[in-house]
Amino acid sequence: MRVSLKWLRELVDVTLDTPALVDLLDMTGTKVEAIHTVGQAVDGVVVGRILTKERHPEAEKLWVTTVDVGAGEPLQIVCGAQNFEAGDLVPVATVGTTLPNGLTIKKAKLRGVVSEGMNCSAAELGLGADQSGLLILPSDAPVGTPFFEYHGTADTVLELEVTPNRPDCLSMAGVAREVAAVTGVSARVPSGVPSESGAPVSTSVSVAIEDPAFCPRYTARLIRGVKIAPSPEWLAERVAAAGARPISNVVDVTNYVMFELGQPLHAFDAAAIGVADGRAAITVRVARPGERLVTLDGQDRELTADTLVIADPTGPVALAGVMGGADTEVTDATVDILLEAACFAPASVGRTSRRLALISEASQRFERGVDPNACIAAVDRAAQLLAEVSGGTVAPGVIDAYPVPIVPAVVTLRVSRTNALLGTDLTEPVVTGILTRLGLTVTGSDDADVLLVTVPTFRPDLTREADLIEEVVRVFGMDRVASTLPAGRGRVGGLTSQQTLTERIGAALRGAGLNEAITWSFADPTDTERLEWTFGPGEMPVRLLNPMSADQAVLRTTTLPGLLRAVAHNRNRGVADVHLYEIGSVWFTADGRKLPKERTVIAGVLAGSWKRPEWNDAPPVLDLFDAKGVLESVIEDLGIARFKLRATDLPWLQPGRSAEVLVGGDVIGWLGEAHPSVLDAYECAGPVAVFEVQLKPLLKAARDVRPFTDLPRYPGVKMDVALVVDEGVSAERAEQTIRSAGGKLLESARLFDVYRGEGVPAGLKSLAYSLVYRDPERTLTSDEVEQAHEKLVRKVTGALGGRLRGGE
Amino acid sequence: MALIDELGRLRDDGLEAIAASDDLTSLEAVRIALLGKKGSLTAALRGLGGLSAEERPAVGKVSNEVRTSLESALAAREGTLGSAALRARLAAEAVDITLPGRRRAPGREHLIARVVREVSDIFIGLGYTIAEGPEVELDYYNFTALNTPPDHPARNASDTFYVEDLSGETAAVRGESDVLLRTQTSPVQVRVMENATPPIYILAPGRVYRRDVADPSHLPQFTQIEGLVVDEGITFGDLKGTLEHFAREMFGPQRKVRLRPHFFPFTEPSAEVDVSCHLCDGVGCRMCKGSGWLEILGCGVVDPNVFGFAGIDPERYTGFAFGMGAERIAALKYGVPDLRHFVESDMRFLRQF
Ligand SMILES: [Zn+2]
Repeated sequence: MRVSLKWLRELVDVTLDTPALVDLLDMTGTKVEAIHTVGQAVDGVVVGRILTKERHPEAEKLWVTTVDVGAGEPLQIVCGAQNFEAGDLVPVATVGTTLPNGLTIKKAKLRGVVSEGMNCSAAELGLGADQSGLLILPSDAPVGTPFFEYHGTADTVLELEVTPNRPDCLSMAGVAREVAAVTGVSARVPSGVPSESGAPVSTSVSVAIEDPAFCPRYTARLIRGVKIAPSPEWLAERVAAAGARPISNVVDVTNYVMFELGQPLHAFDAAAIGVADGRAAITVRVARPGERLVTLDGQDRELTADTLVIADPTGPVALAGVMGGADTEVTDATVDILLEAACFAPASVGRTSRRLALISEASQRFERGVDPNACIAAVDRAAQLLAEVSGGTVAPGVIDAYPVPIVPAVVTLRVSRTNALLGTDLTEPVVTGILTRLGLTVTGSDDADVLLVTVPTFRPDLTREADLIEEVVRVFGMDRVASTLPAGRGRVGGLTSQQTLTERIGAALRGAGLNEAITWSFADPTDTERLEWTFGPGEMPVRLLNPMSADQAVLRTTTLPGLLRAVAHNRNRGVADVHLYEIGSVWFTADGRKLPKERTVIAGVLAGSWKRPEWNDAPPVLDLFDAKGVLESVIEDLGIARFKLRATDLPWLQPGRSAEVLVGGDVIGWLGEAHPSVLDAYECAGPVAVFEVQLKPLLKAARDVRPFTDLPRYPGVKMDVALVVDEGVSAERAEQTIRSAGGKLLESARLFDVYRGEGVPAGLKSLAYSLVYRDPERTLTSDEVEQAHEKLVRKVTGALGGRLRGGE
Repeated sequence: MALIDELGRLRDDGLEAIAASDDLTSLEAVRIALLGKKGSLTAALRGLGGLSAEERPAVGKVSNEVRTSLESALAAREGTLGSAALRARLAAEAVDITLPGRRRAPGREHLIARVVREVSDIFIGLGYTIAEGPEVELDYYNFTALNTPPDHPARNASDTFYVEDLSGETAAVRGESDVLLRTQTSPVQVRVMENATPPIYILAPGRVYRRDVADPSHLPQFTQIEGLVVDEGITFGDLKGTLEHFAREMFGPQRKVRLRPHFFPFTEPSAEVDVSCHLCDGVGCRMCKGSGWLEILGCGVVDPNVFGFAGIDPERYTGFAFGMGAERIAALKYGVPDLRHFVESDMRFLRQF
């Protein structure tokens, strides 16, 4: 809502300067979003008369004018506007003037012709948005006078953010009432009483409302014999200050009254409305199946059954509260005007305007609610102004269809409850005083604590005690309420053990070198094809009904595409080493489901190296074992014993470098290196190691408290063994065999080398383990160790079909 | 006494050789040449056996003296040469300590996660617990139960992402759906209120979604942190005090806080909260657009209608709620000029915090 302070001062005595007023509005809930200065005086602009107008010899669209500026010789000025004639009075910026847009006028040659100034449009002088042509001044403007001396002082326009609960503040009168209430003065709401003549309106017009639920009230007046013309300057200026483009006297009057009183009006060409029983017959009803209407913007629209229309006997002539019809539009040939001031149901107007994407100043006001008891005042005011500016005469009487009059509500308010909710100590007179200033009527009741508050219909937001309490604290001042903390009894804050564990997982991932990322929950529907993602039976991704773009049209079923895009994003910016993790949701749905399954996953991506090579450190290229190591750190931190990878070829992972992750025997995710074709699809160079596991089973398997294990008191004996085995023997199997063969005395077995090459026949490999034998109760003798070791070697080579390296 | 003379010569030669040896290896060779099994002193002493009983003590004494003096000379020389060797080794091992250290940098927490943790810690300190809920929600929890009835402008499809409802049910409003991406974490509050009895002190952080084009100050996916208190005797003053405590913990003890009345469907009275700008100390700068204030959150006293939906007696209990965007808090506190940094996963951004 744009509020001209010049206009506002006509409606209320503003005693504060602008910064103080802005501050007060901010602090009482009417936020000032911007302050515009309009028409700040510009030195060097004078009123000039165009004496001659000739075509520019070199440029078809330019004119060469001579302009009398009251002193000295007329100036020769080259001008590009088309809307003027010789003899017109215009503002002229003389050489040396700096305009509000920063342009300084210099004597210059334009396409070879000297120009000694500039004829100005309203926009160039900072007087609004109109830059369609020169600002043509009235013929009595005194030539040579400084323009801003003639035009008047500058104005300030406040742009207010009006919250949805305050439809009353979408008008100058409403803002004036609000300013009056918060500054403690009273407002002057303008009204107009038209002088009437001719045949009564009721002889020419009839109105019927089919369903008052959609249209509680419809009022109308008839103005005969209007002459459509541009508005007088004061009217055009007001409408422009409020943010609309001046169009013609009729349109400008309807806009003016809407801005002034908050009631949208519509002007019909009365002659274009169909007649019944000799009268223009208006019916307010919902559209019938198959009905269409060509609206003012020239579009032929099909109407749905919940569209509220204004209709004549032949069909719809306007979309109620949203847009008029082309056939009944006011034109230069219009003689009689039918003025409508109605109250339409907010939901109906809101639905229609949103569906047709026709959002206007009028529809926004209807959608929030206009005051049904202000229609008459608005239609009277508009009729009076219209007669004044168009030369028409107002037919006696007002058509007023108001089947079920809406009366002001009475709301009870307890002073004690007010104080209990606010934490204040306000007395009844203070509360009553605030409500009275807001235009509410307060009467006492049998109970001294209970006030009966009558709420005028321009405040439809005040229906309950809580609404009134809000008004009290708003005007009293939130800054005046003392700050306290809730007293509370015996409550303890904290994280749940699951939340603590989740935080620990994050810490473990960071400790292992991964950086936390947040990627989009949205996914490209083609992502799953590119990955050859395998869904469970019946599973599918969640589709958005109104996505922002086609490549964000579903919710992700895996974090992998997002993480690969992150790698590509970094690589494209010259960052080679990318190590990221994300803890976030993925979604799956299925036919018949309302809410999808939502799973939290932990995912990671490792590409490049841990870092660029340094003077003393050349880190290797990251691969799936780095990813596995990261996951192992998390597993160890959570105290999970049963964790392993199982080789399985998943389509989005490189075959042979692809695994399922198992915890406690259940598959909880996958790990591996991204498949080369997937890397191509996401424009990443490999290898890129990735993993994704579900959070929930990890939390379930976590052992939060691990019991103490005694430290060894007796020395252990270290023995190394290198086993030559078939390539098909996995490290996991070898280790399991060693552990079971080592019995109680084998404390640990650590794989320290995997060797293929000279000395090891093709198809075989050497696995070298460092073993530690220890008895926790005593020192082992070398005989005992040798026996145990021999037994181990015998059993292991037997079980694995291998032999000792260097042995026979 | 030829033997005594010989011992004297042996000692003199020996001392000379010890002094002349210039490293531990040659010194060891000297030691062996003198005192080893086949050494010259050992050989000379073999002649002791041929001496008479009268001669023996005197010669024995001299030979002990010679051995002692050689041994102590060897030890002294060894010490000298040893510390020289150590010095040489240490000199050779000296490094340029200004060379960069060898390390593997641990990963960083995302700035948004960090802000969520900072805010959570403040409210945990005030006795709050952390509540969570689904990101794909029912219209009922996101809107209706929060006093935002159908046809309310805030439900406009242009702000909300609706999701295909596969249950076969149809939505009350055309073009919408009963299933949506939550636009706030308030539905978590409703779910908590349905299932718990007051007192309730919760903080609900989480991802939320709104149909905005990603630009420097908007993201279609961002992080909301909302709080809810329901208890007996909760006042608007309690809300004010709580938020003042929060703002000072988050932005510094000197910060001033102001509440401006506003409108939210689920609270009444409602307010927007400004904190005095920490960059200019309230004087006015580019960050606060000259106003001296930064808007950081919205809040209010829980609307009795919301209690009605959740089945809580509004006469017995009162409460307050507040909500803030973690991205906005992070941008203000850390001076991040473009919210899109938060979702681009650029390592150079992630590693800054
Ligand atoms: Zn500042």
